[in-house]
Amino acid sequence: MVSIQQTLNATPVLRMPASRRKRVNWQRVVAWTVLMLLILVTLFPFYWMLRIALSDNRALSANASSLLPADLTFGAFKRVLGVSSLEEAAAQGGSGAKISFWRYLANSVLTSTLITVCQVFFSAMAAYAFARLRWAGREKVFFLFLTALMVPPVFTALPNFVTVKELGLLNTYAGIVLPSLLMTPFAVFFLRQFFLGISREVEEAAILDGAGHVRIFLRVILPMSAAPIATLSLLVYIGAWNEYFWPLLVGQDESVRVLTVALGIFRSQTPQSGPDWAGLMAATLLAALPVIGLFLVFGRRIVNSIQFSGLK
Amino acid sequence: MTSITANTKGPRSRRRRRGGDLRVAVLFLAPATIGFLVFYLWPTLRTFYLSFTDYSLLAPPEWVGVDNYRRLAQDAQFWNALKVTVEYVVINIGVQTVVSLGMAVLMHRLTRSTLIRGVLLLPYLVANVVVAMVWYTMLDAQLGIVNQALEWLGVDAVAFFGETSTAIPTIALVNVWRHMGYTALLIFAGLQAIPPTMYEAAAIDGASEPKIFRRITLPLLRPVLVLVLVLTIIGSFQIFDTVAVTTRGGPINATRVIYYYIYEQAFQQFNFGYAAAVCVALFAILATVALMQLRLLRAGDSDLD
Amino acid sequence: MRKLARLVAAVLALPLALTGCGSGDDSNDSSKPTEVSYWLWDSNQLPAYQACADAFHTANPNITVKISQYGWADYWSSLTTNLVSGSAPDVFTNHLNYYPQFAGKRQILPIDDLVKADGVKTDAYAPGLADLWVGNDGKRYGLPKDFDTVAIFYNKGMLADAGITEDQMKTLTWNPTDGGTYEKTIAHLTVDKNGKRGDEPGFDKKNVKVYGLGLDDGNGAGVGQQMWSMYALSTGWQYTDKNPWGTKFQYNDPRFQQTIGWWRSLIDKGYMPSLAIARSGTSVNDAFGAGRYALSTNGSWMINTYYGYKDIKVGTAPTPVGPSGKRATIYNGLADSIYAGTKHKDQAWKWVKYLASADCQKTVGDKAVVFPAIPDALSIAEQKFAAKGIDISAFTVQIHDHTTSLYPITDHASEISAVMGPAMDAVLAFKADPSSLSKSNDEVNALFK
Repeated sequence: MVSIQQTLNATPVLRMPASRRKRVNWQRVVAWTVLMLLILVTLFPFYWMLRIALSDNRALSANASSLLPADLTFGAFKRVLGVSSLEEAAAQGGSGAKISFWRYLANSVLTSTLITVCQVFFSAMAAYAFARLRWAGREKVFFLFLTALMVPPVFTALPNFVTVKELGLLNTYAGIVLPSLLMTPFAVFFLRQFFLGISREVEEAAILDGAGHVRIFLRVILPMSAAPIATLSLLVYIGAWNEYFWPLLVGQDESVRVLTVALGIFRSQTPQSGPDWAGLMAATLLAALPVIGLFLVFGRRIVNSIQFSGLK
Repeated sequence: MTSITANTKGPRSRRRRRGGDLRVAVLFLAPATIGFLVFYLWPTLRTFYLSFTDYSLLAPPEWVGVDNYRRLAQDAQFWNALKVTVEYVVINIGVQTVVSLGMAVLMHRLTRSTLIRGVLLLPYLVANVVVAMVWYTMLDAQLGIVNQALEWLGVDAVAFFGETSTAIPTIALVNVWRHMGYTALLIFAGLQAIPPTMYEAAAIDGASEPKIFRRITLPLLRPVLVLVLVLTIIGSFQIFDTVAVTTRGGPINATRVIYYYIYEQAFQQFNFGYAAAVCVALFAILATVALMQLRLLRAGDSDLD
Repeated sequence: MRKLARLVAAVLALPLALTGCGSGDDSNDSSKPTEVSYWLWDSNQLPAYQACADAFHTANPNITVKISQYGWADYWSSLTTNLVSGSAPDVFTNHLNYYPQFAGKRQILPIDDLVKADGVKTDAYAPGLADLWVGNDGKRYGLPKDFDTVAIFYNKGMLADAGITEDQMKTLTWNPTDGGTYEKTIAHLTVDKNGKRGDEPGFDKKNVKVYGLGLDDGNGAGVGQQMWSMYALSTGWQYTDKNPWGTKFQYNDPRFQQTIGWWRSLIDKGYMPSLAIARSGTSVNDAFGAGRYALSTNGSWMINTYYGYKDIKVGTAPTPVGPSGKRATIYNGLADSIYAGTKHKDQAWKWVKYLASADCQKTVGDKAVVFPAIPDALSIAEQKFAAKGIDISAFTVQIHDHTTSLYPITDHASEISAVMGPAMDAVLAFKADPSSLSKSNDEVNALFK
């Protein structure tokens, strides 16, 4: 088992692994080439999205083989931000639907934050019970929780919609966040694996000091797991941010509409027509920006700290 | 509120020895359990019940016993969907695990750059549906930029999504693209947990990189790999979005994966009862897979038992 | 704890809600301010219908119409979810593929009494359209709002290069044996990488630069509205024994199978892209816009898309005259339906009546996005299209000539497409012969037993 010290040290002190060889090594050259190729493959579609976003939708087809934007314009971004006039939008192949980008952005931030904070905290509580407490039937209950991973969303959407409706929560923030507020099997599973790895001694010491489980959980386990919790939070946040079908069902109302739902209007609107490509790509890039921003702020900590130290 | 009750109780260590921590556990599990019961267990039980009914969604369900399961056994479309899905999962998980593992090891042995790791995580930030749409246009046989590039290289255009033989591998690889960086980061985290001293020792012994990989990295990484596999395989079986926005099950039945089939039965043909039976069958398969994987994971699972 | 109790209550109440037994007060008092919810899927039409809603509100200050728009991909699953839970919109745009199911399950209101009471004239619409919305039970479930037909879009530049005049395009004939002048035109418009035309010796069918005719990326399944219906119907073939509400499909008819055989032979000849190419990522219209296809058959709902492409000049011609001596096209339209569980039946009906009225349809016609169902409104649309340089006569000529056929309206529409989609794919991919469609026909007809 990996000791907790190492985990704590992992963030500030990043030591290179041993093989820092001085001479030029063909293996390293090949390795770097492969890595760069992977990065290229990762990035190219993003360039392509940007190119489409900066194009005039109606000129895209005629310029399919060009690597540069077709008739360079910021029209698509204007459409997404809702600042282009109806005529402008129509002239570039967009729709006339109106968009209050900032409102939807605020809604997305609010719901994603709420989901992330609550889901991670409640899942951590459950994970604590599964990892650090002894009780009969623990493994069986845990496996039951795990089976929830296998429940297809197609089948949960409908009953969950009815539940939310019966609670009178349609078109409210509560309705949007509720199903993912209390737990997800992934979060419980993830945190349990980590909590398992925390050294017993630290906990025993706390118990000797007279701490109860609540205090151990809040003062010992949570702080020691800051890194994986940050990681999980990011993943949950990305997931919540990208969620589309559920908020579409329960949050169509303008006042609670989230970004993904609003941006759905750039996808195809009739069975036959193609989407507003430029608008869709501009929307996707803009919607990804806040998460990228989040990543840049917390990035170093998170990326360096995705840890499975609990596993042997 | 809960903290007061817990803190004013008697000496904990003794209590634990006697009856276990059941009461505390119940407190800690309460919120998650409510979420589990209402939003997971209840829909699951309901699906199970509906699989024994004829239910068109718009009229009350009628009990039909095991009719749906009998139909399932003889439904060529279902077996085809299962076959196509397994084909997808094998390619998707196979390639993704190898590529991600390679990526993680490369990052681990070459660089500490947060930027590179951040870049590799980027595809995960884009919604499934958009990823599918972007690749769909990029891979078009006539206008797609990838085929333009192939043409410049003197290679004949390939109708990646359009041929029955290439459609599933293409969809599988598109999803590898979205998840490879994310999976690589999970594996990378596992790599970081391997004590650097082991690599130092190996380097002093003059072991080659491939040998280090085989002898040190892979064995020590096994638990992380199993965990990653549990999560990714279950996720992989749920392939739906990419098919829904690109091939819609075609050409012919080449990409009619199980979830898409379920969706068609439930929401397009309103055979909700039958779709529920397909769901239950799939659930049984996935549970078996997960159980097997957890067996593998269990070795050295916990220090508490 | 109260939250928990409510949750438990909700869970227990679920079966009730699922069977649609929830009760609601029928606040039909039209003097109280009410909100009528209305759904549609096409964001391009949203501004037009918002304008209608505003005008409606001015005329009926007590009723506010709240429009929600869902993209096509989400529309039906959202609607179904809402129908199941008893919270569907009061009024929603309906489609011929879905309404028989909704009517059969009593999810939408028959409006005969209301139509009669208010004296709405169902012959005010372009002939035949109103009949589409009379269900299998003889009751009416909607009033027509728009219609569509199919025609040929052509690339003017390519026509000029090939020396084909636009007048020639209007007099094309077709038959399933040699394809008539229609196939000759398609062949001549096809150009390979070396610049050889499809009807010239030495034409390289493996390396085609411009296909004479485009192939749709969508699956026409058992209807083939803009893919093959105009050919098959011009042989005198019909989908079903009677329409609407046929119960016997005729995909085993030799005329139909010959038509499909001829159609796919274009792929073999190199005049039309293979199924694989057509399905590989770009829509038929985008490929047309990129200059890959010289001709493309498509519906009137696509006019603005086709004419919108930069760098190409587009014209339209009616579909060719077939062996029956007449042209053919499917004639189809949408309508608005009232949700059976609506709490504002009177207000919903007022809104539906307004949507189907000349006033609203003229507003829609003014935006030139679709063809309104009322002739007067259609002529407004015609002028507005003409102002944009678009002549829609290729689409309307068949209505004046009475050569249109109604969209096949039957039960089991989605099951039929589940059978016919893969079957047609297999034929087009040359993995099965057109004669295999007889077996599919048996499967389809078995659904009606």
